[in-house]
Amino acid sequence: MSAPLLSVRDLEVHFARPHFNPLKPRETVRAVDGVSFDVGKGTTLGIVGESGSGKTTVARGLLRLVPVTSGRIVLGGTDITALRGEEMRHMRRHMQYVFQDPYSSLNPRVRAGAIVRSPLDVLGIGTPAEREARVSELFAAVGLRPESQGLFPHQFSGGQRQRLNIARALAPAPDLLVCDEPVSALDVAIRAQILNLLQQLKRRLGITYLFISHDMAVVKHVADEVAVMYLGQIVERAPRSAFFARPLHPYSVALMSAVPTVRGGRERAERRIRLTGDPPSPINPPPGCRFAARCPVAEPACRQTMPELRELVPGQWVRCHRVEAVGAAIRRPLR
Amino acid sequence: MTGAGTPLLEISGLSVEFAGGGRTARVLNDVALVVAANETLGIVGESGCGKSMTALAILRLVPSPPGRITGGRIVFEGEDLLQAPEQRLRDVRGHRIGMIFQEPMTSLNPVLTIGDQLSETLIKHLKLDSRAARARSIELLKAVGIPAPERRVDEYPHQLSGGMRQRVMIAMAIGCEPRLLIADEPTTALDVTVQAQIFELLRELRARSGMGLILITHDMGVIAEMTDRVAVMYGGRVVEEAPTADILSAPAHPYTRGLIACVPDLDAEEVSGGDLLEIAGMVPSVWDLPKGCPFADRCAEAMPRCVAEMPPATVLAAGHRVACWLHEGAES
Repeated sequence: MSAPLLSVRDLEVHFARPHFNPLKPRETVRAVDGVSFDVGKGTTLGIVGESGSGKTTVARGLLRLVPVTSGRIVLGGTDITALRGEEMRHMRRHMQYVFQDPYSSLNPRVRAGAIVRSPLDVLGIGTPAEREARVSELFAAVGLRPESQGLFPHQFSGGQRQRLNIARALAPAPDLLVCDEPVSALDVAIRAQILNLLQQLKRRLGITYLFISHDMAVVKHVADEVAVMYLGQIVERAPRSAFFARPLHPYSVALMSAVPTVRGGRERAERRIRLTGDPPSPINPPPGCRFAARCPVAEPACRQTMPELRELVPGQWVRCHRVEAVGAAIRRPLR
Repeated sequence: MTGAGTPLLEISGLSVEFAGGGRTARVLNDVALVVAANETLGIVGESGCGKSMTALAILRLVPSPPGRITGGRIVFEGEDLLQAPEQRLRDVRGHRIGMIFQEPMTSLNPVLTIGDQLSETLIKHLKLDSRAARARSIELLKAVGIPAPERRVDEYPHQLSGGMRQRVMIAMAIGCEPRLLIADEPTTALDVTVQAQIFELLRELRARSGMGLILITHDMGVIAEMTDRVAVMYGGRVVEEAPTADILSAPAHPYTRGLIACVPDLDAEEVSGGDLLEIAGMVPSVWDLPKGCPFADRCAEAMPRCVAEMPPATVLAAGHRVACWLHEGAES
């Protein structure tokens, strides 16, 4: 892998729960609990997980849209963990965010051209004439007609609004684009258009992506590397091809098996690994492996001690007591 | 009874119009569908294609005004629901035909307990007294896999997770043992592992009761896994209908082919970061549907004729019909 553009170590984002009873101990939501990863320049890291796994909070923590409890975030060689105020604002020039909902993330009273120009205005990039030129360039880059700059968000379709979101994020020419479920709110046929656009931008501009999704198939399509999150932690991290050929963590295996596919049809449903229940709460999680309560192959030891994230195959990391390396072979408890 | 004899539900020539601003929009146009007992029919398409409107029309729940069912027949167990008096329909809704909506968060009343909401339909349709209704509610919660149903029955919706709430919705829908269950995107708001649980439950319930099931979805993977037959809707019309295996192996309509190909495939061999097949453009507005094929402006294979004239349905094989000029004269 090329030198990492983004390097995250032991990131923790904890929230104190509002409490009303002074006699009870204060509860903490451990939304992100010790997450580490690198993203190579020009590559895409896909973070996949179910709701409540903490994947969005990781993204928001990176941009410091939520306060980070502890850990270290290094972007392009600069430690940005301790940056504050004006310094942090300027750092955001190098990393931008594409939100999930193309409806609520655009101000309905601002014209499209001004929306895309706003990061340039806020960060004070270029002269007014340069900004106008940049906006026209961005409209072309994301496949929007230049004359649509004068329209308001409601005059665009969902897919076009997501293009506006992407154009706005690209405006300050960031190195890193954090895309949080960028296609989940779009209609199936429109998703392909946006995914193709993101891929083209990557090829053309060499952008690095942190791509957050609950959809395994989308992650397989866009990511070079995959991280699976469960209840605030990464339970597996691997290059795309290794991961999809042979997921090691029981949760990864179960998550993949839960996705209905056109070719798999009914037989796939019959072979499916059944997970019972819902993910437990991230408030005061159990001491052992966080997945133990739902894991089909959990042993008593799993409920007692938290497994470490171990590199079992070069590049493939897994947080599970039950996955073992026997010589050169890997023994998976669930397949 | 597996599809023998008269079907459970037979819709023909169903049209629904919406009026507004002096104009009318045809949101459903000559829709024909058949569901047999013990069969699952999938309805697939993008939003705005008429899937949910078809479900609402079956129960005569089209919001009116501005909507109006302008024609057609909806024959359920031998009775045309469009001709039935309103009083009769109240007995059908939630009793003979159950319905599960997309949003389990907003479809439950937040100020009533789960038990109150379940009991309401049981008391109304099955004339149970409140004690019997409560006992039956607990049984139903158990049937849909809710742990500790004796406790859950007295809880409020906000105390349950999304998956649990959808289970409660299903329990309500099946409470009166309907002959037909309509599920409109029942898992869209849920995680995949929970979706898998809900689908397994629906398969089990159908096998046990022999009811017919209409499953509305936009996901071809769900179609492959859950349904026996599929109707593909576009622009308020059924553009293709076929047994599921046929439509997945030999989709005939360019829109169906697009729906299958535009989604990243988890089963695909190693991908090379290549582009997905796109369906260009977007669903036409119901206010200005073209007079020809509604898909013509997005179709890569469109011909001049497609824009001018709506193609009639062509039967390609037993149970496989398609409305597309490409298949004209391919009648089997």
